Amino acid sequence: MAVAAAAARVWRPSRGLGRAGLPLLRLLGARGLARSHTHRWQQQRHFSSLDDKPQFPGASAEFIDKLEFIQPNVISGIPIYRVMDRQGQIINPSEDPHLPQEKVLKFYKSMTLLNTMDRILYESQRQGRISFYMTNYGEEGTHVGSAAALDDTDLVFGQYREAGVLMYRDYPLELFMAQCYGNVSDLGKGRQMPVHYGCRERHFVTISSPLATQIPQAVGAAYAAKRANANRVVICYFGEGAASEGDAHAGFNFAATLECPIIFFCRNNGYAISTPTSEQYRGDGIAARGPGYGILSIRVDGNDVFAVYNATKEARRRAVAENQPFLIEAMTYRIGHHSTSDDSSAYRSVDEVNYWDKQDHPISRLRHHLQSRGWWDDEQEKAWRKQSRKKVMEAFEQAERKLKPNPNLIFSDVYQEMPAQLRKQQESLARHLQTYGEHYPLDHFEKQVPPNTLRSQAVLEACSARLLHWAGSLVSPFSTLSYTVFSQGLGEGTSGTGHP
Amino acid sequence: MAAVAASAGWLLRLRAAGADGPWRRLCGAGLPRGFLQSASAYGAAAQRRQVAHFTFQPDPEPVEYGQTQKMNLFQAVTSALDNSLAKDPTAVIFGEDVAFGGVFRCTVGLRDKYGKDRVFNTPLCEQGIVGFGIGIAVTGATAIAEIQFADYIFPAFDQIVNEAAKYRYRSGDLFNCGSLTIRSPWGCVGHGALYHSQSPEAFFAHCPGIKVVVPRSPFQAKGLLLSCIEDKNPCIFFEPKILYRAAVEQVPVEPYNIPLSQAEVIREGSDVTLVAWGTQVHVIREVAAMAQEKLGVSCEVIDLRTILPWDVDTVCKEECFLNLEAPISRVCGYDTPFPHIFEPFYIPDKWKCYDALRKMINY
Repeated sequence: MAVAAAAARVWRPSRGLGRAGLPLLRLLGARGLARSHTHRWQQQRHFSSLDDKPQFPGASAEFIDKLEFIQPNVISGIPIYRVMDRQGQIINPSEDPHLPQEKVLKFYKSMTLLNTMDRILYESQRQGRISFYMTNYGEEGTHVGSAAALDDTDLVFGQYREAGVLMYRDYPLELFMAQCYGNVSDLGKGRQMPVHYGCRERHFVTISSPLATQIPQAVGAAYAAKRANANRVVICYFGEGAASEGDAHAGFNFAATLECPIIFFCRNNGYAISTPTSEQYRGDGIAARGPGYGILSIRVDGNDVFAVYNATKEARRRAVAENQPFLIEAMTYRIGHHSTSDDSSAYRSVDEVNYWDKQDHPISRLRHHLQSRGWWDDEQEKAWRKQSRKKVMEAFEQAERKLKPNPNLIFSDVYQEMPAQLRKQQESLARHLQTYGEHYPLDHFEKQVPPNTLRSQAVLEACSARLLHWAGSLVSPFSTLSYTVFSQGLGEGTSGTGHP
Repeated sequence: MAAVAASAGWLLRLRAAGADGPWRRLCGAGLPRGFLQSASAYGAAAQRRQVAHFTFQPDPEPVEYGQTQKMNLFQAVTSALDNSLAKDPTAVIFGEDVAFGGVFRCTVGLRDKYGKDRVFNTPLCEQGIVGFGIGIAVTGATAIAEIQFADYIFPAFDQIVNEAAKYRYRSGDLFNCGSLTIRSPWGCVGHGALYHSQSPEAFFAHCPGIKVVVPRSPFQAKGLLLSCIEDKNPCIFFEPKILYRAAVEQVPVEPYNIPLSQAEVIREGSDVTLVAWGTQVHVIREVAAMAQEKLGVSCEVIDLRTILPWDVDTVCKEECFLNLEAPISRVCGYDTPFPHIFEPFYIPDKWKCYDALRKMINY
């Protein structure tokens, strides 16, 4: 160690011995080195010399002459920030966000409406009405607390268990159901499995099944927002399981090095399907990884909607102001099964699940808080349960009755324009159905268009596409047509309730 | 993913040119004189590194696009990127080592001209590069991502195939990443071996939603790259690295577009059709000339240019199966990873193509 330090002194051109170093070392000779070496061993203190700092470009650190491995701190990890106790009482009044009653009631109604919708749609899958569903039981607080702290136009990249964010942004029940049923009203045109929601108007990027792929994408979007001076943050949700993917590592590193205004929001709910966190990672969760990338990080009680709100609010403010990423790890618990394809009693006890359902649930904690404030009572609870159930059932029945979209929608949107080969395949299917239609569930689908009409449709589409392209080229690049996802000019805005 | 090996030829030359004192001393006086004897001293056993397996044929100077300038392929790429960044203020270029100009010099000068927020390095992570690029494109800005060698595109395969290609379709056209272009050096180079020689377009050729393009020359490269960048679908643009310096021709200075999904018949013929893309186009051009001279066979030569969606009409029709007088012959590398020292034996050179043609004529 001491020899290395001496060598460092010789070879470094700017300090110490400089050019004279090599000849000087020869003069000192081996004895000279040995003498200084012995001298250091005799000193019973840490070597520290002001003119002997490390020069490595890769790290900004001091030398140490004691061999010591850094102990990962997993016995007592990063502490969990919370505002309310499990009974909904504010612990430290200075952390109370002092939100108006109306807003807190919106938190409560969003979480409970989501819960009601989850129950009904889960059941509908059991009855074979929809093919698949994923509930959000126990994690409603993570969705609503964070969504409430954002601007309406902040872009959201989710994983698949963030329906509460859309609920808070007033995505209508009709559209949730339309996507799950894949009916004519589905904005996604019936192409994806249930719960793969997306909404351009509400700045919620369409969900995709591969895990963690959204993470580096969210970083790119944040970079574009920074360049556009959009004063917007991007939030990216993912679970603790998805955080093991390479894309998560990629996203964190890019966000930090490229200084992007992004909030990474990890829902640590204890399980990735059947895999508990003890088999997912060996370090101190996800929050501990943040500092490794140079990212400001915090761990919060995900079942405390005010803690989630406060952390997200502050992260948003600073991410936009300082153009740097933030990592929030929201600790919570997945009360439901992973999906309708899962039976979690195969890998966890009913007692464990009941504890979270009964003793530490974001909805009941908020309800206790509301009640203690005099903002809610049992009568209102009863009335709201009835009303929300009725709303969900109405939307559900309507969704059931609607037709599925036209099978022509198999062929569009693969590219912006439909290539000739796909047009031929589309016509081929239309012809096939003319002969073999009885073997297909055509009654449930919007009527097919005859093959020769498809061709004239194609001509119309090509003309309008050219017109749009020409129109687009007339507009300056910084108008609402580019960076469209960040403009406020599109659509009807997001302030309406959207459902009866 | 060390890129040092294949680019070493260029980079070492650059480093030697601007070397510091100690380095030069080690190279020169430090070694015993005569240590490095000339190759001929070893007699017949010594072999020069191989000559290229093709001869680049420049196309005639284009007249319809205004003033032209002599450019090699990497300069044509730089010109296209320059035009794009000038025209489109949202356009950004990123990837490994693009800031200083890129390991193949495709981005030289662009950072100085357009700023460090528009031309920047990313960490060493292909899945991140493409994912990040998708995200930029989702907001509507133009993202031009570089993957340093096509051999390293595989970590980004998931982002390309599962995400970029399907973005518009799966969202019902609510979202798309059409303004993403991925460009990557491609194909054999004489000494690239397994990991600096690959032509992975086949992995992407059946992935609906993306476009895959391979140019044969500087003029084609600039026009096709500009079309990819402006195309409203995510595109992969593979640049034949062996042509970066070897291919030189007159290229228009102003921007111009060569349409995608249109093959080009570069030699008319009536007996046999030869189809290729990228570097191989120059190989089969020569094969066509050989066939005419030695066999009296008239060959049509087609540069496919866009691999996906490909120009079926120009190349063949489903009905053409009955019109063929011989089975279609594919001449390509062997079903092995790309070997280093054996490259001359591995590649589908003109003799193999000629032989396949000869067998086809005699079918």
